[in-house]
Formats: sequence, structure tokens, C-alpha cells
Amino acid sequence: MTLGIALGLFYGWVISPVQFVDTTPASLRADYRADYVLMVAEAYHADQNAQLAAQRLAIFGSDPPDSIASQALQTGRSAGYAPNDIALLQDLTRAMQAYQPVPTAAGNAP
Amino acid sequence: MKRDGWMWLLALLAGFGLGLVYAWMVAPVRYVNTVPTTLRSDFKDQFRAAIAASYSATHNLDRAKARLALLGDADPVQALTAQAQRMLASGASFDSIRQVAALASDLKSGVASALPTATGTPTAIAPAISPAAAIETATAPTSASETPTAVNGSPTAVASTSAPQIFDTPTPRPTYTPTSTPGAPFKLVSQESICNPDLTDGLMQITTLDSTRHQMAGVEIIITWSGGEEHIFTGLKPEIANGYADYIMQSGVSYTVRIDDSGSPVPNLAAPTCPGANNQTYLGGLHLTFQEQ
Repeated sequence: MTLGIALGLFYGWVISPVQFVDTTPASLRADYRADYVLMVAEAYHADQNAQLAAQRLAIFGSDPPDSIASQALQTGRSAGYAPNDIALLQDLTRAMQAYQPVPTAAGNAP
Repeated sequence: MKRDGWMWLLALLAGFGLGLVYAWMVAPVRYVNTVPTTLRSDFKDQFRAAIAASYSATHNLDRAKARLALLGDADPVQALTAQAQRMLASGASFDSIRQVAALASDLKSGVASALPTATGTPTAIAPAISPAAAIETATAPTSASETPTAVNGSPTAVASTSAPQIFDTPTPRPTYTPTSTPGAPFKLVSQESICNPDLTDGLMQITTLDSTRHQMAGVEIIITWSGGEEHIFTGLKPEIANGYADYIMQSGVSYTVRIDDSGSPVPNLAAPTCPGANNQTYLGGLHLTFQEQ
């Protein structure tokens, strides 16, 4: 039986492991997440639309947008991002910390 | 003896089954550090939209190319064009469609173009490419512990290493030369009737040029007629031309065309009737060229 278990594990982990082809952004490696956040920061720098930036950051799930931006900033610092990129991420982080979600029309409906 | 053999086989199969249950259900291989190529298609769309939004702000075509490469599209221009059309069909905002179409057009031409921005002023040029965007990962991750290795300049498939190796050499900055006054109105500079039986009947072809007569992608065109209105964009058919868009006119309908909200409307446009073979007639087309003033 031990031999069978070993064979089963070998087959399940090595020969035919579970395939993850439709992954979510939350599972991305930290540097890819940080680069996405940098894209959002670049766009935010141009349009100054905090709501749109928060919507774009929501791709990562239910974490608060300031937390997502802050994590990206830390990743950027540790990965040696250029100073301009760091500055953009800092701007976005500040904006997300100050951002208050606008209630939707549906939320205001009686 | 024979019974022992069966017991052995049974135990082996039971163990194999238990091993599979453990490997597939209890503790499956977990890809926690995935790469963008493995993303679900709708998330890839959001990534492309973010890349386009970033590009519209920075005009850094090299950085946009590096980021698009991360998604693993065989043809990024085609992927962007198809996405722009999906966005148009789903009623996405015109700004976001314009950004995606413009990026597709610039990728095809290889030249970063100026876009009309909401603020009316050229925005900041992007700084050096970040490590993540410089990584080309052509294959799915082979190990959850794979560490990033950034190689600047030429994207290269990288192997797992024990420690991050970051070569943060800034890429050359693009020389951004404003080619037009953002938001300047467009003016009709040429209008011709087309009688070509090889073309689709009633085809209205529109070309938009900037003030230096370069074709402009991502320009919104508003076509109205009695009881209807349609919005189309240039740049969604880069295989024809970057500043090209078209629309199928109906017989006997008078159309008004205007570019964005800034242009003067061009009224009374209708498909001409063209002489065909055997004294038959067919619906011809129009070719309108608008230039930014």
C-alpha cells in the first residue's frame, strides 16, 4: 500500500498535477501585482480619478485599495523600482488612503 | 500464493487511489506565484485595459510592449483590437475604448502617438521600465518558489534562481513630441463618392488625420440620422489604416457625421447610386477625410 501511495502521489504531483489555467490576479506573483498597481498609478497620475483607480485595484479582490497600493509600494522599493515609479506609487497610496467610496445609486435607493 | 498476489495488487491500487486523493484534493499543487499568462481571459482584458490606460498617460511604447508580452498573446495588436470591439459592444466607456484602440494602432505603427487627454495637456513621460515588466515568461511557472530575474532590454526566458537578480538599467526615454493640439476640432478636408462594386454596398469610409496629416487612431466618430445614432472609433481596423473607420449606410437615409464633440457636423451624407453592369445600379460608398485643425 505504501508503494501505491507513493505512486499515486508521484502521478498526482508530478505526472498529472492539478492545472491552474484560469487564475485570478490575487494569485499573481508580487512583482506582477506591483507592476499592475504601477499601471494604475501612472493612469491616476494623468487623470486624477481616484474612483477609477480604486475600481482598477479591485481586480485583486476585497482588500482595501490603500492596502493593495501600499503592498505594491513595498514590493517596488524592495525590487529597486526607479524613483519616479516609487513616487507614482506613493501618490496612489496617498490617494487611496484618502479615498472614500462613493455610494451607488442602488445603495441609496429606499 | 495466488491469493497473496491479489492482495498485493489490491493494496497497491488502494494506495494509489489514496495517493491520488491526497495529491489532487487534500494537498494539490498550488500555484501561488502565478504569471499573467495564466490569468482568466476576462482578467487579461482588465490587464490590457490597464496597460492601455497607463500608455495613454505615459506614451511609453516600450513599456507597454513589455507588459503586453507578459500576457502571452500570440498577436498583441489583434488581441487589443478584438478587446476594443468587445468593449464597444458591451458599452464600455469611450475613453477606455479609445485608449485600447490607440495602443493597438501605435503598436502596429511602432510609433508612440499623442492622444487627446481629458486635461488637454501632454502628461508625464514614464520613467524607466520596472523589473516586473522586463521579465519575459513564455512558459507557466514550474515552481512556486521561482524568483524573479529581471533582464532589462531584451526579454529573455529566465530560469529559477536562488536569489533575485535585478539589473535596473533605465530604458531610453521616448522623445515625446506633441503633434497636435489636444482637443482641437476636426474639419472635413475631402469627401468623395466611391463607385466600386468590389466594396460593400453603402460603405462609408472615414479617415482621421492630425494637424501634420498623420493618421489618428482612437478618434470617436458620431454618426446620426433621423431616429438613430451610432458611435464608432478609428483604429479598430489597423490592418487597413490606423486612422480608419467605416460604417454601412442604408439606402435613402441621410446621415450627419461629426468627429468627437469638437468637430462641426457634416450633414446630408447619403450613399450614392452607382451604375453597374447590364444597366443595373448599386449602392456606392463615401470616403470622408477629417483633419485636426
